[in-house]
Amino acid sequence: MPTLTIDNRPVTVPDGTKVITAAEQLGIMIPRFCYHPALGSVGACRVCAVGFKEGPIKGVEMSCMVDAQEGMVVATDDPDAVDLRKHVIELLMLHHPHDCPVCDEGGHCLLQDMTISGGHGRRRYAGAKRTHLDQDLGPLVQHEMNRCIQCYRCSRFYQQFCGYRDLGVTGIGTRVYFGRSEPGTLESPFSGNLTDICPTGVYTDKPSRFYGRRWDYERAPSVCIHCSLGCSLTVSARYRKAVRHEARFNAQVNGHFICDRGRYAYAYASQPERPRDALIAGRPATLAQAATQMSERLAAIEKGTGPDGIALMGSARSSLETQALLARLHSEKGWRTPCFSADDAATRVVSSALNTLNATNTIALTEIEGADTVLLVGADPIGEAPMLALALRQAQRDGSRIITVDPRPVTLPCAHDHIAVSGDDLATAVAHLIIGALEPSREIALDADQQDRFKTLKQETRDIPAAAELRAIGHALTTAWRPAFVCGTTVPDPDVPPLMGLLQALVQTSCMWSGLFFPLPGANTFGAHCLGGSDALFEPLLAAVEAGQVKALVVVENDLFSEYPDQQRLAAALESLELLVVMDCVPSAITARADIFLPTQTIYEAGGHYLNNEGRLQVATPVIAGGLSIMDTGGGNHPPREFREDIPGGTPRPAWQYVAGLATGETDPPDVKPLLDEALTAGVADGERVSLPSASREWPSIERIGAGPEGDAGGLTLIESAATFGSEPLAAFSTVLAELTPLFGVTVHSETAQRLGWRAGDRIVIPDSAPALEVVVTLDDRAAPGVLLVPRRIGIDRTALRRYMAHLLAE
Amino acid sequence: MTQDPSQLKGKSLPPPRETSGAEALKALVTGFATTLKHLGRRPITEQYPEEKRELPARSRARIILTRDPDGAERCVACYLCSAVCPVSCISMQSIEGQGGRRMAAWFRINFGRCIYCGLCEEACPTSAIQLTPDYEHCQRAILKSVYEKEDLLVDHCGKDPDYNFYRHAGVATEGLDKGRHEKEAPPVNVRSNMP
Ligand code: SF4
Ligand code: SF4
Ligand code: SF4
Ligand code: SF4
Ligand code: FES
Repeated sequence: MPTLTIDNRPVTVPDGTKVITAAEQLGIMIPRFCYHPALGSVGACRVCAVGFKEGPIKGVEMSCMVDAQEGMVVATDDPDAVDLRKHVIELLMLHHPHDCPVCDEGGHCLLQDMTISGGHGRRRYAGAKRTHLDQDLGPLVQHEMNRCIQCYRCSRFYQQFCGYRDLGVTGIGTRVYFGRSEPGTLESPFSGNLTDICPTGVYTDKPSRFYGRRWDYERAPSVCIHCSLGCSLTVSARYRKAVRHEARFNAQVNGHFICDRGRYAYAYASQPERPRDALIAGRPATLAQAATQMSERLAAIEKGTGPDGIALMGSARSSLETQALLARLHSEKGWRTPCFSADDAATRVVSSALNTLNATNTIALTEIEGADTVLLVGADPIGEAPMLALALRQAQRDGSRIITVDPRPVTLPCAHDHIAVSGDDLATAVAHLIIGALEPSREIALDADQQDRFKTLKQETRDIPAAAELRAIGHALTTAWRPAFVCGTTVPDPDVPPLMGLLQALVQTSCMWSGLFFPLPGANTFGAHCLGGSDALFEPLLAAVEAGQVKALVVVENDLFSEYPDQQRLAAALESLELLVVMDCVPSAITARADIFLPTQTIYEAGGHYLNNEGRLQVATPVIAGGLSIMDTGGGNHPPREFREDIPGGTPRPAWQYVAGLATGETDPPDVKPLLDEALTAGVADGERVSLPSASREWPSIERIGAGPEGDAGGLTLIESAATFGSEPLAAFSTVLAELTPLFGVTVHSETAQRLGWRAGDRIVIPDSAPALEVVVTLDDRAAPGVLLVPRRIGIDRTALRRYMAHLLAE
Repeated sequence: MTQDPSQLKGKSLPPPRETSGAEALKALVTGFATTLKHLGRRPITEQYPEEKRELPARSRARIILTRDPDGAERCVACYLCSAVCPVSCISMQSIEGQGGRRMAAWFRINFGRCIYCGLCEEACPTSAIQLTPDYEHCQRAILKSVYEKEDLLVDHCGKDPDYNFYRHAGVATEGLDKGRHEKEAPPVNVRSNMP
C-alpha cells in the first residue's frame, strides 16, 4: 500500500495501482485517451503525461504506465508536462476534421474536452488533412473514421475484451484504420459499447443520430429490464422520448458495459403502435370510465362466484411495486393467488433454483470474472443473459476453464469445452459430475450419512454417452481454487439447480471460494418469487377458467400468448371468460382480446424497483413524465402552436396504480422495502442483495435422478430457448432491433437432420400457421442429437410450430 | 434614500434660505436665453415612425437564419445557439436531411423572451443565425412573437457572403465526398503496403 503525493495531497493506494487511478481517488482527472479502467494501459496516446518530482522516478512520464510507489511526488501541473500535453493534443488534432457541429459526440466528447483544457484553441497546421472512407457497420453504430486519434480503445475492446474478430485495426502510419475488413453489420452483441468507449466521434449511436446533445437530454440512472442480470443504465430522453441507454458503472453487476439488447431495447416505449388510450370492448374510453367499469364488473362477478371467481396474472417484467400490490390485492380481497408466469415448466425450475440459493453460495456477476473454472449447465449466456458471456470471457482471458453442459450448441466469445447432453439428461449429467468429484478424490470428506446417500446416488445414476468425460470434469473441479457454477432456469428440469447446489457445496470444502449463479427467465422473476408468486402455477388457473370457475382474469403486463405454448387452447379459454382486463404498455397479442384495456407506463415514466437474478434490489428512476414525443405531436415539424393543459398521449398510469385502485385506492407509489421485509423477514437496501436464508448443508432429495427420460432414448425433443434478439417481451417491440433479429430457424445435429431428411438451408413452411411461419434449417454438430432447437420468438404461431414438431416427433 | 419620518421627529431642520430678487431675475433670464438659443437650431429629435434611420448592419435586432452561397440552409441544428442563449428562447429539433446533411426539422425563436444579446450569433459555427437591424417586430398577440423556421429563414447570406460549412467539414455530403473538402487529401488506401 504505497503512499504518494499528487498535487501536494497524499493518497494511499493498493499495490499495482497506476498513478492515473491514484489521482482519480483524489478527484484529479488526468487527461487520457487510451487508458480505460476495463481495458488497462497501453501508453499509446501520450496525453496523460505528468511530472514526477521526487521518488523512484523523475521527470515527465505517462501516468497510466507508472505504478504508484512509496514516496512519489507527482505534479499534474508541471510546466513540462503541461507543455507536452498541449503539443500531443495539437498533434492528435492535425488531421481532425472540422466536424464538431455535425458530430454526435459533440457535447460529451473526450477529445473536445481535452483539446480545450489542453489549451489548443487555434489550428496552426495549414497542410492537407488525411481522410478515410467510412463503413456501414449495421443499424446500431455509425462510423466516421476521419475523427480517429488512434487510441486503440475500440480494437482492444472488441477483440481482447469481447472476443469478437470482425472489427480491428489495419494499416500503418497515417493510414491506420479501425473498422471491418468489409463493410457489414457488426457481429458482436456488445458492439454498442464502442459508442461509449471511443473517446471521439468515430463510433456514434446510430439510432439516436442527430437527435440531440448530451446537455439537452434529461438523464436518470436506471436498470435494464431486458434480462434478469439487471445491468445499470443511464437513460437519456428528450422531448418526451427515451432515445438512448448508456452503460452505468456498477462494480457488482455489469462493470462498465452493457449488451446491445439492453442498449437498444428502449424503442418499444415510443413505437407508434404503443397503446396509449383506455379501451372498453375495443373502443376508446376515458381512463376513469374504464377503471370504474373494471371495478364494477369485478364486484358484480365476485358477488356471483365469490372471490375465487377472479384470478390475477402478473409478470416477471413488472416492477416490485406492481407485483407487491397484486399480492396485496390477493390478500385483501381473497381473489386467487397471483400467478407471475404462464410458463409453468420454467416456474418450477426457478422455484427450485431460488430455494437452492443462500446467503453464502450466491455470487454476483463480476465475481464470475475472478473464477478459475466456470461450469455452466443448461445455460446459454448469449441468448439468456448476454453480459454473463462477457464475464465468462474475462474469466477465460485470466486463464479460467469454461465448461458448458447443454443440449444446445452453446456459443461463447471465448474458448470453452462443450459437452452436448440432451435436455432430459442434464440432471444425470450433474450427478456424474458429483460422482466424479467424490469418487477417486481424497479432498472431500463425507460423513456416514452422506456416504450412504452417495452410494444411492451412484447406484441410481444412469449411464449416458458423456459420463466418463463428465466424471473427469467433476474430478477436475475438486482441484480448482475458485470454481463458479452457473445453471440455467429454462432448459434444465427442476432437479438440476439443487444438484448444482450440492455439487457446489461439496466442492466448496476443497477450494478457496465458489458460488452459484442462476440466470432467470425474467427481469423481476426473483421479485415474483419473493412476493410469493412462484408457487402459483398457470395450468390450474387455465383449467379453472375452462371449467368456468374463474369468470374474470386481470392480466398485468403479461402477454400470455408469448409464454403459454398452446396458443389455441389459451385463446379458447380467454374467450370463455366473462371479463378479461389487460394492463400493458406494448401492443402484445393479448391486448386485442381485452374487454377492458388500461394503458400502463413504461419504466421511463413510472420507474420502479427490481430484484435481479441474485436478488439485488435496484432502483430505476423515472426520466420523463410520459406522453407522445414532440416529434409525433408536431408530425415531424414544429410543436403545435396551441396551449393545452394535459400532455398529449399522456393517459397511461403506472400499472401498480390501477391495481392499487382495486385494492386500497392509494395514489402514491408503495414503499416496496417493508413489503420485501415482510416477505423475507429481513431488511434490504438499494443496490444490496436481499437477505437469503443462511447456508444449509442438507443434501437435496436425489431419488428421481435415476428415473431417466420418459419414452425411448432415440426420440426427438423440441427446445425453445431465449435468443439475444426477438425473445424478450419488451425488446422484441424495439424498432431498432428489428433488423438484427435473425430469420426464424431450427438448429439440429446433422445426424438428426439426416433422420428427418433435412439439409442445411432448407426452408420448412409450417402448415396452417398464421401469420405464415417459415423455418430455416441450420446444422450444428455441437447440439445434442435428437434436439430440435428453435428460438423463443414473440409474435409467431407457436401452436402451429409445436403441432408440426409434435407430428415429426410422432413419426 | 427615503428616511423613516419617525426618526426625524424632534430633530430641527435647517431654516430655509432666503432668495434675493437679483438672484431670481438672473435665473429667469438664463432660462429664457437657453430656450431662445435652441429655437433657431435644427431639431435633433427623429420623428419616428415618420422618419426611419438606417441602422448599422451590426445592430442587434430581429434574428434570421441565412443560407450559404450555394443557396442551401446553413443551420446544421448543432444546438450551440440554444445552449448559449441566456434566456433559452431558441428551440429546435435536428434531423438527418438530404444527402447526409444535418439540419433542423423545426427551429423556433420566442422573440417575446429574446434580449437581443447576440450570443447566439457569436456561438454559431456556420454563420447561420444572424441578428439584423430590423427592430420593428413588436406584436400584440403573444404567439405572433414566436417565430418558426419558415419565418426565420431568408434566402441570402446575411452579413457573411462566403462561408459554407460543408466545404470545410470532413463529413461526406451529396456532391462533396471524403477528401473533396477544403485542405483535404484524397482518402487513403488502407490496403496499400507502400510506406
Ligand atoms: S476509432 Fe475511436 S476508439 Fe478506435 S482508435 Fe480511433 S479514436 Fe480510439
Ligand atoms: S445483459 Fe441483460 S440486463 Fe444486462 S444489458 Fe443485456 S439485457 Fe440488459
Ligand atoms: S440574441 Fe441572445 S437572447 Fe436572443 S436568441 Fe440570441 S442568444 Fe438568445
Ligand atoms: S448555432 Fe448556428 S448552426 Fe447551430 S443550431 Fe444555431 S443556428 Fe444552427
Ligand atoms: S492515457 Fe496514458 S498514454 Fe494514453
